[in-house]
Amino acid sequence: MHDRLTQSMRASHLLALLFVLVSIGLAAMGAATGDTFYLRLGTEALIFAGLALSVDLLLGYSGALSLGQALYFGIGAYVSALTLMKVPSFWLAMGAALAATLVAAIIGGLIANRVRGVYFALITFGLAQVMAKVVYNTRELGASDGMIGIPVIEIGLGPFSVSAANPAGFFLLVLAFIMGLYALTAYLLDTPFGRVLTALKANERRVPFLGYSVWQARMAAYVLAGLIAGLSGALYPMLRGFVSPELMFFATSGNAVISVVLGGVGTLIGAIYGSVLLVILKSIIGSWTEHHLIVIGLLFMLCVMFLPKGLAGLVRPRIEVLLNRRTQTPPASAEPAGLSPIAVKSGSVS
Amino acid sequence: MTPIDYLQFVLAPQVVNGLALGVAVVLVALGLTIIFGMLDVINMSHGEFYAIGAYAALALAAAGIGFWFLLVLVPVLMVPLGMAAERLLIRPVFDSKDRHVTTLLVTFGLGLIVEDVLKIIFGANTQRPPTPIPGATEILGIILPNYRLFLILIGAAIVLAVAYVVYRTRLGAMVRAAAFDRNMAASLGVPVSLVYAGTFAFGVGLAGLAGVLLAPIYSVFPTMGRDFILLAFTVVIVGGMGSIWGAVVAGLLLTQVQALASLVISPVWTDPIVFGTMVAFLMFRPQGLFGRLGHA
Amino acid sequence: MTSGTIKTLIGSLLAVTALSGSALAQSGPIKIGVVTPLSGTYTPIGQQVRWGLELAAKEVNAAGGIAGRQVSLVFEDEEANPSVAVQKAEKLFQVEKVDFLTGTVNSGSTLAVAQLAERNGKLAATTVSFADSITTDKCSPNMFRVNARAEQQSVALAAWLAKEKPKARVFYLGPDYEMGRSTVAAFKSSAEKSGAQTGGEVFAPLDSKDYTQYFGQIRATRPQVVYTSVAGNDTVRLLTQLQDFGLLSGLTVVGASGTVTSQNITAIGAAAEGFATGVGYSPQIESPENKKFVAAFREANKTDPDLYGADSYGLLFAYKAAVEKAGSTETDKVREALRGLTWQTPQGAKSIRAGDHQAMQPMYVVRVNKGKFDIIDNVPAENAIGPDACARF
Repeated sequence: MHDRLTQSMRASHLLALLFVLVSIGLAAMGAATGDTFYLRLGTEALIFAGLALSVDLLLGYSGALSLGQALYFGIGAYVSALTLMKVPSFWLAMGAALAATLVAAIIGGLIANRVRGVYFALITFGLAQVMAKVVYNTRELGASDGMIGIPVIEIGLGPFSVSAANPAGFFLLVLAFIMGLYALTAYLLDTPFGRVLTALKANERRVPFLGYSVWQARMAAYVLAGLIAGLSGALYPMLRGFVSPELMFFATSGNAVISVVLGGVGTLIGAIYGSVLLVILKSIIGSWTEHHLIVIGLLFMLCVMFLPKGLAGLVRPRIEVLLNRRTQTPPASAEPAGLSPIAVKSGSVS
Repeated sequence: MTPIDYLQFVLAPQVVNGLALGVAVVLVALGLTIIFGMLDVINMSHGEFYAIGAYAALALAAAGIGFWFLLVLVPVLMVPLGMAAERLLIRPVFDSKDRHVTTLLVTFGLGLIVEDVLKIIFGANTQRPPTPIPGATEILGIILPNYRLFLILIGAAIVLAVAYVVYRTRLGAMVRAAAFDRNMAASLGVPVSLVYAGTFAFGVGLAGLAGVLLAPIYSVFPTMGRDFILLAFTVVIVGGMGSIWGAVVAGLLLTQVQALASLVISPVWTDPIVFGTMVAFLMFRPQGLFGRLGHA
Repeated sequence: MTSGTIKTLIGSLLAVTALSGSALAQSGPIKIGVVTPLSGTYTPIGQQVRWGLELAAKEVNAAGGIAGRQVSLVFEDEEANPSVAVQKAEKLFQVEKVDFLTGTVNSGSTLAVAQLAERNGKLAATTVSFADSITTDKCSPNMFRVNARAEQQSVALAAWLAKEKPKARVFYLGPDYEMGRSTVAAFKSSAEKSGAQTGGEVFAPLDSKDYTQYFGQIRATRPQVVYTSVAGNDTVRLLTQLQDFGLLSGLTVVGASGTVTSQNITAIGAAAEGFATGVGYSPQIESPENKKFVAAFREANKTDPDLYGADSYGLLFAYKAAVEKAGSTETDKVREALRGLTWQTPQGAKSIRAGDHQAMQPMYVVRVNKGKFDIIDNVPAENAIGPDACARF
């Protein structure tokens, strides 16, 4: 027997499996045809999917909208870039990015988790703006020009090795990495920690009575989200060979939020599909008209208003019905997702 | 540089110029704080409404309408726009659980669209209406352009008028009642849904008025909405969301901090200082200096 | 399967067809990719780049194309963001199989695209970025610059200033980012060499709303000249605010070539009068080539060309000359042909210095008079170019 939450997560896992299979199929096709651009664009979409995943972990599970998640993405990218320029080692760069984002996310979490709701959104926004300005003004970090000249690395994986310049190879590596982050997040959300988070979103005032610390759970979610964003960001300079302060700007954070809303808040896999969709949309609309803001803005607005659970909200219930039929439990539709009303009406923020 | 020189040429003008900028920021923040305080809605497209006001002034001035008439006409024209935005975008999601987040996201999307539409209609180049009151006045060796002097005065008048309407009239009482307890207000005969739409439109009209007033100083271009919005949000938070006096005090204070800090440290760090102030307030006093209007 | 994956699938299929088509490339049209800001703050500059290139392509095609092949332009919006620029540039190189790339505006994008061009074995050129680093310490064998860099502009302007206001006290006001700072530094060293004194220096954040907070420092140093390297909307605000405060009388304002351009001069209005700058182009250049160019540009776009439009227009003729000389569009051959190339533009003859890929060109000092740039002085190309500081090739 599975409860409803597990049920809807199983539907997400099925979508994740489909995503991986289709991606591998496309990678094989791309490799066979000698394609470079689409594989590398796909890799970039996956890297930003990692950022979107971290936004969804916060928004969809602890109900906290981060408007500054690019802060950790940017820290990961810059630390990885600086490391790679000294020692071109994948593992060292990832380790350094992990350590740096861990410290940054703990500090950021201590600041941001003092407040809730819209104040949380604004404080994360403010933090990211301050850091982006600092990077933008620091000549040692290349200031407004950013840093170029990050070498193309060989990534050692035990007996194998993949070059970051090999489009299909690096795509598969990033796919494995991002889906690994997805699996890890999904696993953690299935533990008691995850249940506390879900309970927090439903009714924060009751959680302490169950014997759990609200603050600890929120802090843990925040740091975890920071790490996911930072590790995703660390992959960026390996792909593109440069970093620039724009990676920390609001546009990057905003795109992650758009991805999550398009894909489906609180579904995890929706963030990944949404991010891929956004990259494709931008790529297609951008080549067709320079007024892509109108199209994306409109799509985004309609999604918030009429499709609060995004694309995953359209697809997932059907998969759940199928799954239920097989396990012969009564059909369930409730899930922790979305910007939609759940039973409890929240109080005022302050 | 002698100390007298420093005082006359640097310090005193800095304070006076900071004051003019402060009034500009307060004008933009006023509508934002009212919409937040009364409706509990974060209007991320406020900056774009400000831009619409500025462009409307530019277009109407080109059609031969005088500046003084525009001060009334543009805000009035903005009202139906605000009403429509409230009906179509805010109302449908007003009762969702995460109202803050949802309205923030919807208005964020609206801002993206408006910015692009303005570019299509008016082109990408910067434009600027002529200064309505030319010339400058010299007081004690401090030069202040007449239009900035006018801006400080009319800014004060607008703040007083808005505060009077909100705090002292029956209309304001109805609005505050609706903000405080919607059901109670409705049962007492307050037309809550009309009040909400009207309040949103009022905030939008104020943004438009700010656009008319500030266009001659800060010029007009499609992305101008992003210009003041960060500072305006900071002012709203530091002043206390929904507090009119809070916005005034915070707006004047923060711009003074910025102006004076730029004398001592590199001006690029003044932005981080302002955001840092916002973060510090959110951490230690999230209700801001003056708490919240609807709940005071 | 979502629509997203279907579109990726279609994309991959398109890539396959593009690949099989590449065998035909040598006989089909020559494709030139343009990654330029078509949205956001830099849109007006991107428009000039686009108009200049489109006019040049039309004329080249009407005259039989490049080596008998037609030219086609492929535009992508880079949003003035290096990470977008690189993604779009890679699309143009890999999918559109463009032979040549141009259009980047901010120096961050230009530098990132230069590195991408190297890794893709293709060539690129900028017609706008004037940060010295692009052809000095961060030069790339695959990047060319056909517009005047900061130092060239500074040399011309400083030489004129030394004649006009000898030993003037100068106040410097720049936007605080790489290009703004390096432009101020370049002019300051040129001006000090020719006898100017430095009154003071301040760097304001990019997109500053109010410049009045620096006016106190300006007044206190009592300068005869203010040099500024702000651009776009920032110039509108700086100059009109200076005028509102009555500070423009008796003051000579000079600046970078991008400070006052055809995009913002109308908005600045009377406050732009008397502004002087060192630049590689002015619509007022009295040559038959330029008159023809300005008339055609005005006909097509209902506005005058500025330096960006003219430099972008000229680039296509450099590429045409290089490809015809090389007899091929192959990277190495075209690179060799571009090095040392001399060709005609509306600005006069330009030539590309082989040592750092920087174009040499006669420099002008222009001054705003009744809303138009009048040419008031000029410096021959050799005197303005400065030493070759590129160590990579």
